[in-house]
Amino acid sequence: MRELPLAAALLGLALLPPAFGSNYLTGVALSGVTFTVAAAALNLVFGYAGLLSFAQLGFWGIGGYCSALTVTRLGGSFWDGLVVAVVVNALAAAAIGLPTLRTKLHAFVIVTLTFALLCGLVARDWVSLTRGPLGIPGLPTPRFFGFAFDSPGRFYYLVLAYAVLALGFLYALGSSRIGDTMRAIKQNEPLAQSQGVSPLPYKLAAFILSAVLTGLAGAIYVFYLKVVDPLFLDFYYMQTFLIVVIIGGAGSFWGVVWAGVVMVGLPELLRFSNDLRMVIYGVILVVAMLAMPRGAAGWFADRKITALRASLR
Amino acid sequence: MPVTATYLLQLTLNGLMLGLLYALIAVGLALIFGVLEIINFAHGEFLMLGAFAMAFALPPFGLAYWPALAAAVVAAALAGFILYEAFLAKLAQGEFERSILITIGISMILLYGMQYLFTATPRMVDTAFGFAGIHIGAIRITWTRIIGGGIAAAAFAVLYALLTLTQFGRAMRAVAQNREAALMVGIRPHAVARNAVVLATALCGLAGAALAPIQLVQPGMGQAVIFKAFALVIIGGLGNMAGAFVAALALGMIESWIGGFFDVIWQEAAVFTLMIIVVLIRPDGLFQRGGMRVG
Repeated sequence: MRELPLAAALLGLALLPPAFGSNYLTGVALSGVTFTVAAAALNLVFGYAGLLSFAQLGFWGIGGYCSALTVTRLGGSFWDGLVVAVVVNALAAAAIGLPTLRTKLHAFVIVTLTFALLCGLVARDWVSLTRGPLGIPGLPTPRFFGFAFDSPGRFYYLVLAYAVLALGFLYALGSSRIGDTMRAIKQNEPLAQSQGVSPLPYKLAAFILSAVLTGLAGAIYVFYLKVVDPLFLDFYYMQTFLIVVIIGGAGSFWGVVWAGVVMVGLPELLRFSNDLRMVIYGVILVVAMLAMPRGAAGWFADRKITALRASLR
Repeated sequence: MPVTATYLLQLTLNGLMLGLLYALIAVGLALIFGVLEIINFAHGEFLMLGAFAMAFALPPFGLAYWPALAAAVVAAALAGFILYEAFLAKLAQGEFERSILITIGISMILLYGMQYLFTATPRMVDTAFGFAGIHIGAIRITWTRIIGGGIAAAAFAVLYALLTLTQFGRAMRAVAQNREAALMVGIRPHAVARNAVVLATALCGLAGAALAPIQLVQPGMGQAVIFKAFALVIIGGLGNMAGAFVAALALGMIESWIGGFFDVIWQEAAVFTLMIIVVLIRPDGLFQRGGMRVG
C-alpha cells in the first residue's frame, strides 16, 4: 500500500482549516500550498530541464494581472480569468523561450531575469492599464456553481484542488519518458543528442508548462489577496520559489514538496518579521549551497548510497 | 515643452553623469565575470554598502567629502575581500548555477539585513558642499554631481592604467582572456580572482558613495541599478570591460534623452528592450570578448 501515506497526507491537508480554526493559520497554509506549486513548476524547468529561469516571477505576475484584469476590465468571471492567464502565459513563454533557449546558459539566465523585471516595470509604469502602484483592489470572490470561496477556509480548498492537479501532473510528467529525457538532457546534452534526442522541444515544453502552472498559481493567489499591485512582481517571490527548490533538492519531486511545506510554513509560524525571515532564507541558501549543493533530497540520497556501500563491505 | 539648446545640453550632461556611474558598476561586473566566470548577484548590494558607509562616515568627519568617500571605498573593498575569501573562493570552475545562488543568498542577507537594522526609510545625505553648485549659462549643476562625474572619470583612468601598465592588472586580463594559458605561465588564479573581486567591489562602493549625496540612500538602491548593469554587461558582451563601459555611457545618455521627452516607462524599459534586441541579433553581445589569437 504505497498510496496510503499519500492519502493520509491529503486527508490531513484537507482537514487543516477546521483543525486550525483560525483564518490566519489557514492563510499561512494557503500561501504555503500556492508557493509549493510555483516552486514545483520551477523545479520542472530548473531541476529536470536544467534551465535556471528567473522568468517564473514574470509568469507569476502575468498570471495575477491577467486574471485580475479579465474580471475588472473585461467583465469576465474568475474562471475566464484563469483561461486568459493560461493562454497569455503560454504565448509569452513561447515568445521568450524560442530565442533565448538557443543562447548560452549565461545569457539565458540574464534574459529571463530581464523579462521578469520588465514585467514588473510594465505593471508599475503602464498606469492606464494596471493603475500603476495603486494596483487593482477589490477583486470579487470566485464562485463555482453558486458556491462562494468567500473565506480563507473555503478558498483553501480551491487552492488545494489546484495544487493536487498541478502536482499530480508534474509527478506524472517527471516519472514519464519525457521527464527521463529532460533529465538526460540536463545531465549530458551532447550525449542525449547523440542518441537522437533534440533538446530544444523538451526544453521549450518544460519552459512553457512551468510558465502556465506558475501563472495559474499567481492567477488564483491574487483572488485570495483580493488585490494585485506591482509588489506582486517583487523579487522576493522569486527568491522564495528558489529557496524551496534548492533546499528540497533540484530535480527531486518529493523533496521540493516537503521543502515548500516546511520553508513557507515554519518561519510564518515562528512569527519573524518579513525582513528577518528573508535574512534567514539568505543564510539558509548560502549554507545549503556550500554544505549540500544538491539539496535535502541529494543529501539523503548520498547518505543512502554511503550506508549501502558500508553494508556491502 | 520648449526644446532649447540649454535643455538638450542639460539632458546630455545628466546622461553623461548617469552613464559614468552605471559604468562603474557594469565594468566591475564584467571584470568579475571575465576572471571568475561568475555573475555576481550581490554586486548591487555593494553599491548600497558604499552609500551607507558614506552616510555613516560623513558626520564623524564633520561632513568632509573626501575622507568619507575614502572610508566608503575601503569599506566596500573590505566587504569584497570577505565575499571572495569566505564564499567565492570555495567555488570550483564551471559551477555557474551554484555561484548565482550563493551570490543571491548573500544579496538577500545584505539587503534584508540592512532593511532590518536601518528600516527601508530613505535617508538624505548632507555633505559640506550642501546644495551649492556652479552656473554655466542657464544650467545649474551641484558640486556633488560634478565631483561624482569627475570621480568616475578619474576612476576609469586609474583602472585603465592598472589594467594595461601593471603586472597586477595584466595578470587579470590574462586570466580573463585565457585561463589555462595564464596558469601555464605561472599566474596564481586565486590571488588574481581575489584582486578582481576587491577591485570590482571597490569601484561599486565608489559609485555608491558618490551617489549618496545625489540621491536618497536606502537599502533597495542597489537592486534598482544592478539589473540594469546585468543588461549592460550582456549588451557589451559578457566579460568585456570596454564593451560594458561603452554600453553604460550610451545607456546613460539614451535614458536621459528619453526621460526628457517621453513617459518614464520608456526610460526604464529602454535598457531591457535594447538588451533583448541585441541578444536576438548578436547572442554574444555587441563586442566580443578578446580571445587568444592563433596563427
